[in-house]
Amino acid sequence: MKRRDFIAGTGALTALPWLAGCTPAAPLVTVLRPGLREGHALREAAALPPPSGELRCGVAILGSGVAGLTAAWRLAREGRRDVLLVDGPEPDGNAAGGVLGGIACPRGAHYLPLPDPGLAHVRELLADLGVLTGGLRDDAPEYDEQTLVHPAAERTLASGTWHEGLLPASSAADATAAARFNADMAAWSARRGEDGRPAFALPLAASSGDPALRALDRQTFARWLQEAGHTHPPLRRYIDYAMRDDYGARPDAVSAWAGLHYFCCRRGRARNAEAGAVLTWPQGLSALTAGLRRVAAVRTLSGHAVALSERRTAVEVMVQTADRRTVTLVADRVICAMPLHVARHIDPALADALPRTALPETAPWLVANLLLDGFPHERPGADLAWDNVVLGGAGLGYVVATHQLTRVARPAATVFTAYRAGWGDVTETRRWLASAGEAELLEFALADLDAAYDRRWRNRLRRAELVLRGHGMAIPGPGFLDAPARALRDRGGRVLHAHADLGGLSLFEEASWWGERAARLLLG
Amino acid sequence: MPPQSRPTPDLHDSATPGTDAGTHHPGLIVAVFVVASCGLAYELIAGALASYLLGESVLRFSTIIGTYLFAMGVGSHLSKYVDEKALLARFIDIELMVGLLGGLSACALFLIYAWAGSPFRVSLYALVLLIGVLVGMEIPLVMRLLHQRKQAFEALVSKVLTFDYLGALAVSLLFPLVFAPLLGLARTAVVFGLLNAGIGLWLTHRYRAELPQARALRLRGLLVLAVLLAALAWAQKLTDAAEAGLYGDAIVHQETTPFQRIVLTRWQDDTRLYLNGNLQFSTRDEHRYHEALVHPALAALPQARRVLVLGGGDGLAVREVLKYPQVEQVTLIELDPAMTRLFRDTDDLAALNAHALRDPRVTTVNADAAQWLETATGPGWDLIVADFPDPSHYALGKLYAVPMYRLMARHLAPGGLIVVQSTSPWYAPRAYWCVDATLREAGLHTAPYHASVPSFGEWGFLIAAREAGYRPPSALPAGLRHLDARTVAQMFDFPPDMRAPAVEPNRLNTQMLVHYFEEDWSRQMR
Repeated sequence: MKRRDFIAGTGALTALPWLAGCTPAAPLVTVLRPGLREGHALREAAALPPPSGELRCGVAILGSGVAGLTAAWRLAREGRRDVLLVDGPEPDGNAAGGVLGGIACPRGAHYLPLPDPGLAHVRELLADLGVLTGGLRDDAPEYDEQTLVHPAAERTLASGTWHEGLLPASSAADATAAARFNADMAAWSARRGEDGRPAFALPLAASSGDPALRALDRQTFARWLQEAGHTHPPLRRYIDYAMRDDYGARPDAVSAWAGLHYFCCRRGRARNAEAGAVLTWPQGLSALTAGLRRVAAVRTLSGHAVALSERRTAVEVMVQTADRRTVTLVADRVICAMPLHVARHIDPALADALPRTALPETAPWLVANLLLDGFPHERPGADLAWDNVVLGGAGLGYVVATHQLTRVARPAATVFTAYRAGWGDVTETRRWLASAGEAELLEFALADLDAAYDRRWRNRLRRAELVLRGHGMAIPGPGFLDAPARALRDRGGRVLHAHADLGGLSLFEEASWWGERAARLLLG
Repeated sequence: MPPQSRPTPDLHDSATPGTDAGTHHPGLIVAVFVVASCGLAYELIAGALASYLLGESVLRFSTIIGTYLFAMGVGSHLSKYVDEKALLARFIDIELMVGLLGGLSACALFLIYAWAGSPFRVSLYALVLLIGVLVGMEIPLVMRLLHQRKQAFEALVSKVLTFDYLGALAVSLLFPLVFAPLLGLARTAVVFGLLNAGIGLWLTHRYRAELPQARALRLRGLLVLAVLLAALAWAQKLTDAAEAGLYGDAIVHQETTPFQRIVLTRWQDDTRLYLNGNLQFSTRDEHRYHEALVHPALAALPQARRVLVLGGGDGLAVREVLKYPQVEQVTLIELDPAMTRLFRDTDDLAALNAHALRDPRVTTVNADAAQWLETATGPGWDLIVADFPDPSHYALGKLYAVPMYRLMARHLAPGGLIVVQSTSPWYAPRAYWCVDATLREAGLHTAPYHASVPSFGEWGFLIAAREAGYRPPSALPAGLRHLDARTVAQMFDFPPDMRAPAVEPNRLNTQMLVHYFEEDWSRQMR
């Protein structure tokens, strides 16, 4: 069973690095809070310098996350050349990547499960980028093996030993519980609603509307698991991990429908890989956003939208450029590809339609890139894998950025990317993330690695880049399927919305689908 | 092993009958036992070490024992010059010196041997001579001491010689059965050294009333004891490396680099290279491996000008490549600078590759070959030699996967060939044929062949080309030891018990090769 990835479109805001004042032995720490400054300035409606220029275009895409870039790609593919992409305060959104010590690494989501035929736009996009290499319309196409995750893919640390795979099966009881859970999920995965559509699908809009299935959205996943008898503690630790990883919350705060969707919506296969394989790159999903930018070859403005007003003949967008100028952008149509909690500060019409309380709660997310000048000494058990999860650990484990490389010897240096989400009260956590010092944040980020290795591993740590997002992903709590944001989907006019928030799950496929949909609507 | 014997002690003329030896001086009799044990132990250790490092055990043992016995005779003779008044003090001094020299003998000899070019044989016999002289003085001095203490001559001789021979018996049994296997040579020697020094110290204490310089003696004794105890702790490291059963032979060079542990061993004329404990070559038969790796491909390419060697920092493959005068440029990509430095700058090691790494036609690049290939530009290569480590784990398996071979093929000149060392078609048939299937999956035509390399067993190689039509060469360069046209032709023949099994190609995401390799070899290791 594979873990899924999430990805929202444009989050917020530019990097705000500052260096740690550190002792010579301590690693150099950089803290990035993408979008924090710009987002809070929007919230507080900070005064802007008067506009110093005007730009015109046919289509303005506001935000360069997966939704915005997919829209740009589709428009370019259909021959639209009058498109301007406003990068937004956080280029590439949750699919951002970076380079640390010369090693490419993710600054956000790091993999993509194989898309099933229902995700035609994702397949087409992957084919354009050279990732899908044959059989575009086949049930099981061929993928570039460089991008299919190489073994060993996953391991889990449980009771002091590393085990292969993510689902614990170190005892007979574990194996029984896992088998029962897997069988249950397989049955749900095959289930269809009265309308003949699969119970759980991607995009979410392809899932069945059968009220009997949708009723699952009214209870928490924790309660559903309890009632279904999936109570074996190690299994629950795994499920807990999965929910925090994709939804930024524990099962008691997640809709049962969303919980089941996680385990039952992936049906993608590949001719040249085993079931459940995923696509990954050293730099994470920024390989795809970079590819989309390259293929779309779209004109890009570095800056972020601060206000939007829809006129009868055009849309006027105030943009604050990266060099702090204000320009007026006049566009025939606008694709607003940013999170809804940001969009409502830009578009007054939206602010009225969507009060803050109507928006989904969002979860803070921490991505820590750790540059190591060598691989730490391993505990007994399974060898270092691509994804390494500490069962019951505080974080979401860590990924090895150099895993996909072909090398004669282990590289002299590597980057481990540690993830954390789904801890504590979200509001308090956001406040803490915004104010905590580097040393404190670093300790927090290293929790799983400290559990995985003896303390000497820290001697290998040279640099740490901590990427903090206060609003990393929407939490699909009970009732999320009927959230008021649904109203935006079919809002007419010159402004089209495109973001994973519209569906409520922060996933690449979902974000991409909303971008595709907006572009299609715009193209007519 | 020849029996050990002792020369007759040089007895003092003025022997006076007295009470039964040992009744009043049990300390001296215990000393005889210990001294005899230790004396024989050093002799056995030197003999074992010499035959271990130099081979020819019969010759080594008889010359060591001969030298030792002769030296003991010299010692017995010299013992008569020891002043009667200072007899006990000198005996204790000799105990301490024997303890120090004998105790450190094995460690010292290991070290001397490890320093390439140091005169090991001279040092060995000099040390044996020195220890022999000192040991030879011990028994006569003990007899004189007992005699001084009014021992009856008959009882004295009988008692001393009885304990002398008993000690010898004890050690001759304990050494091969207990000490050597349990402690290794280096630590065994130190343990006996400690016994000698211990006796010295104990006698100092026992007879402190008779010894005017007891304090100085005790100080010296404690010093020797401290040195030996330190050696005992340190000898563990030496024996770990030299005798843990990992290499078998004496280590002549060892080095831990950021990439690997390099160990060179030598046993007589056989030099072996181990990387992380895995044998890379033995000079006894490396020519078979490297001739087979290079010539079937290169001799078929009379137009070859540019050759790329991936891996193989020992320069042995390059040595074979340089046998073709038409080759103008050889580029060797070796990860570890320590390897190329070792095999270029150390004379006896560079001699193994005929100083190939100093040839003006050769360019050495210290880089990760996979990474280097990803970014390399420039004209194509006529021959690419892929001499990578066996695909024993996932990271190495990637070097044998479809993308790697596609990458290599892109770097080939028209008509060029790739040759891949590809494990053993006998021990790991599925692994070998998986490499073949992988090359073909990468769109290449293959020519499988194998050679017998005693150190490795039956070994497999694959020649791959973008175009079909490779033919084994009918002529080979002069001066090859293993290959001629007839042998080369035979290498491409796979007898019925080595036919290709059905296998899948090796893909990055499935790594079938690593699974095949692991399963095939584990079946062999049963």
